[in-house]
Amino acid sequence: MPVSFSGDRGEFFGLVTRGAALELITVGFYRFWLTTDIRRHLWSNTHIDGDAAEYTGRGKELLIGFLIALAIIVPVYVAYFVASLEAERYKAFASFPLLAFFYLFGQFAIYRARRYRLTRTVWRGVRFWMSGSGWAYAGQAALWGLLMILTLGLILPWREAALERYKMRHSYYGDLQGSFEGRGWDFFKRGWWLWPLAPIALYVTPLAPFVYAAFKAVEWRWWLSGIRFGDVRLESTMRRGALIGLYWKVIGWVLVLAVVFAAYLALCSGLVASMSGMPIGQFFAPQVFLKSIPLLILAGLGYLVFALAINVVMRVYLLRDLWVRVLASTIVHDIEAAANVSARGEMANALGEGFADGLDVGLDVGGF
Amino acid sequence: MDSGPQNASPSAGAGGSAIYFDGTSSRRRLVTLAFNDGLALHEDGHTLAAWSFADIRRADSPSGALRVTCLTAPALARLEIRDAAVAAELISRCARLDENIPGRHGTARIVGWSLGATVSIVAVVLFGVPLAADRLAPLVPQALERRLGDVAEGQVKTLFGGKTCNNASGQAAFTKLVDAIRKSTGLDTSIQSEVLATPVPNAFALPGGRVYLFSGLLAKAENADEIAGILAHELGHLRHRDGTRNLIYNGGTSFLIGLLFGDITGSGALIFASRSLVTASYSREAEQNADTFAIDAMRRLGRSPKPMGELMFRVTGKEGDRSLSVLSNHPLTEDRLARMSQEDRPPSGPPLLTPSEWASLKAICSSDSKI
Repeated sequence: MPVSFSGDRGEFFGLVTRGAALELITVGFYRFWLTTDIRRHLWSNTHIDGDAAEYTGRGKELLIGFLIALAIIVPVYVAYFVASLEAERYKAFASFPLLAFFYLFGQFAIYRARRYRLTRTVWRGVRFWMSGSGWAYAGQAALWGLLMILTLGLILPWREAALERYKMRHSYYGDLQGSFEGRGWDFFKRGWWLWPLAPIALYVTPLAPFVYAAFKAVEWRWWLSGIRFGDVRLESTMRRGALIGLYWKVIGWVLVLAVVFAAYLALCSGLVASMSGMPIGQFFAPQVFLKSIPLLILAGLGYLVFALAINVVMRVYLLRDLWVRVLASTIVHDIEAAANVSARGEMANALGEGFADGLDVGLDVGGF
Repeated sequence: MDSGPQNASPSAGAGGSAIYFDGTSSRRRLVTLAFNDGLALHEDGHTLAAWSFADIRRADSPSGALRVTCLTAPALARLEIRDAAVAAELISRCARLDENIPGRHGTARIVGWSLGATVSIVAVVLFGVPLAADRLAPLVPQALERRLGDVAEGQVKTLFGGKTCNNASGQAAFTKLVDAIRKSTGLDTSIQSEVLATPVPNAFALPGGRVYLFSGLLAKAENADEIAGILAHELGHLRHRDGTRNLIYNGGTSFLIGLLFGDITGSGALIFASRSLVTASYSREAEQNADTFAIDAMRRLGRSPKPMGELMFRVTGKEGDRSLSVLSNHPLTEDRLARMSQEDRPPSGPPLLTPSEWASLKAICSSDSKI
């Protein structure tokens, strides 16, 4: 049984454009509500077995989560600063435990953020939910992180499999318990050739989008194909090259926008120079035109619009279009097993999302 | 379109079929609707639920369908109507349908609160953080300050090559000059000072009591009073603990402005721009205070502060034409020169260095002291 998406692309574009403008006006505070609106749109247009899901989270919850996380992170940051000065005196690597502490915090945030999103996900009047402990997860993730360093990343498939097993084992749809059957070895078999390519891609920049897109496609397919809820099985048929186009479209748009921005700057400089009445040659001496207030303001405004336009492009391609491609490749087997599931589970708070925001932990599409 | 089999009264509006999830199980029920005083949901002749129109609220739905819930039903109970005519009928009866959906009113409130938060953060940056920096800097223990200086020193030395100039006669003259200023201003002996070999004409102080004079500035100087004034200015920064104050101030403003611009991609440049605007005025004030300290020190030594202004003017030239005074972290050099000239007095004390000592100081970076 395939999964379908009914959302209108133009509507999503309108949503993120308006959101970007509001982010500008509210100097970024609108992000909590924009994130919520994006999820509401994506969730409520995703149909599984003919019924659409629903996202019941609200922007205010994210704001509160962020404020609480801030109240915890700020004193830790200050303590960290003082302690690292103290520790640095003895040995350069003595501040390592503190970095490890922040890494743990980040992993905790990832677990709790997924928990928040899952408990706000409703399908057929029954919510998903999650048990388990964020700190236990963070501990496991940190140990696997050490192994990652020791094996130069080669152990990544087994790390992801183990961590996903923990997450899925503690995930439920009503009283239907989840599990994860993806094995590290399967992931490795499909993607091992990307491992030696990754360092090359760091130097040969045009190669990087190909390598990254292929990695993401392999990862999505393996991850989705491993998900179980009771007897319900998911399967993904995503091809390795399925996401490459998306990344190149983003790069293309960023280049186009950069050209437009450069043209705008040139136009502004020309205008300001001609209005200043100074000879053109004299105006473009660096000390002069870098200090021109009207030009600085025009450039600042243009830069803001440029940055927001890039945000819109990224959200359209890397959130919405990616979501659609992932759904199009997904097949649900034995959905009948979820036909009469009893509702269970409590809602979790958004503290994890707040930490993820405050610590800049990267979360994936929808955070899953 | 089916109508409710038995409970639908003749006066009720046209019913319709819909999909119902009761919020306690995921069972999908096909129900028929009946519009009476409220909305009745029937399945195979039983009434599953009766909702008052005033309690019905909209929930997110895919495009082309209406999905509602009811305040008196389980929180996740959902009724999904895919027939547009039935949906329109229900919408017309539920006056408070959209009360729970975040709408335009909510957005206006978010914008309002954000502006409020912005104003408060800006106020804290402009008034609160300078106050905190002034109050906290004296509380920072000397040992911690010294450690900050150690870290900064490493960076300075990598940035400017880090070769110290210290041939014997030059160093002796330099020490004599620094000691004279130090004693006149009552600073203790914990202050370390060095000449660094770099063509950049500058001098600065680091937290924890370190003063650096660059040989580039020494090369442009014409007499000992010029250098003495500059050194006194840097000692003024040490006395006022400007390094530590700046650190607290910059850390605080960076954090708050970063908080303000949050998630906008590329906010880095914005943060940088607004920060330099705000910190510049703070820094100008600190420079002015250090100048006051230097003028005071020179007068106590019986020397004029004017040569210091002349040396700075020689290095920077006239600044007013090409720099934006609000962005500059120093007062304009011509203004500083004007101030020092006002304080100009004929020397009443002995020269700070003898001509031969001055020559040795000028040659502090040559490997063999020829003079």
